[in-house]
Amino acid sequence: MIDESLAGVLSAEKEQSLRAHLSTCATCREYLSASNRVIVGLSGFSFEVNPTLNARVLAAIRLQAEEGRGILARDTGTMRQNSVPFKNWVAFAVALSMSIVGSALVYQMAERLAVPMQIVSAQLRASVLVFWLLPSLCAALCLLAAPGQKRGLA
Amino acid sequence: MESETQRIALGLRHGDVAVLEALVEQYQYRLVRYLVSLLGRRDGVDDFVQETWLRVLERGRSYDGQSRFEPWLFRVARNIALDAMRKRPMSSLPSNEEDAVRSSPASGEPSPYTLAARTQDAERLAHSLQTLEPIYREALVLRFQEDLSLQEISVIVGAPVSTVASRIYRGLATLRPQFEGK
Repeated sequence: MIDESLAGVLSAEKEQSLRAHLSTCATCREYLSASNRVIVGLSGFSFEVNPTLNARVLAAIRLQAEEGRGILARDTGTMRQNSVPFKNWVAFAVALSMSIVGSALVYQMAERLAVPMQIVSAQLRASVLVFWLLPSLCAALCLLAAPGQKRGLA
Repeated sequence: MESETQRIALGLRHGDVAVLEALVEQYQYRLVRYLVSLLGRRDGVDDFVQETWLRVLERGRSYDGQSRFEPWLFRVARNIALDAMRKRPMSSLPSNEEDAVRSSPASGEPSPYTLAARTQDAERLAHSLQTLEPIYREALVLRFQEDLSLQEISVIVGAPVSTVASRIYRGLATLRPQFEGK
């Protein structure tokens, strides 16, 4: 019970009965006294802290904090790069417009050539779709997905 | 009103260097004292102290401010010290956690307790403390020097409260004869 009392796990009720017992038991008083001297003895140590330790630790903390901020800034920059920048949207819009207008022009020209070349209308539309409209749309989408810096836009 | 622990938690969550600097000033000595008691030696402790504070900066957001700061700090320090002990060269690799903290100073070096004893009772305890099993020494120091509750110590050492209590009893039982009948 004395050990439990010193460890701080004894209930108030048991503490009271322990105190009553100690008042009549010299052996337990001796046990408690020796235990208390151990505890007091534990407080009698004073470790020297290296006088340069605090400065060293604080310098390391500041350095790591600065590096952390640098990493954060780089991460934020990467996130910005990962989102589609405004310039990419403009490039995509221009490419899309050119693709549609160009497809219409190519289709008109091909229609004029279709009669002398005896090409049927369905074949003409399929050819324009496969060889002009789809590639130009893909090119426009690539502009949207490509990182700005690689295209010199950032 | 914002409590002290909540203020610390908020500062650590934001990586506030000023808060960390204040914590270093406030807890440095206790951190050194705890690590000496854990390792039973003085050399290398400064490196663990620095590593501990850098870890606090790095992972401070995991401190929630709901409990006292020092148990959380000591747990960080303990993990760093024990991890480092485990990563030593294979020849001295400890097989488990208890072995990891069972390192004593090199032969011939004065014990850190002998050097740090400032009272007669402390001088009498110095040798016994140095040879005491580190897990018992750690429990005694955390309970009676750091004034932590058994629950807090239990969190630090990752053992049940009953185990912590048992370590305290056995530590006291080992040191008590120094003062019995005197």
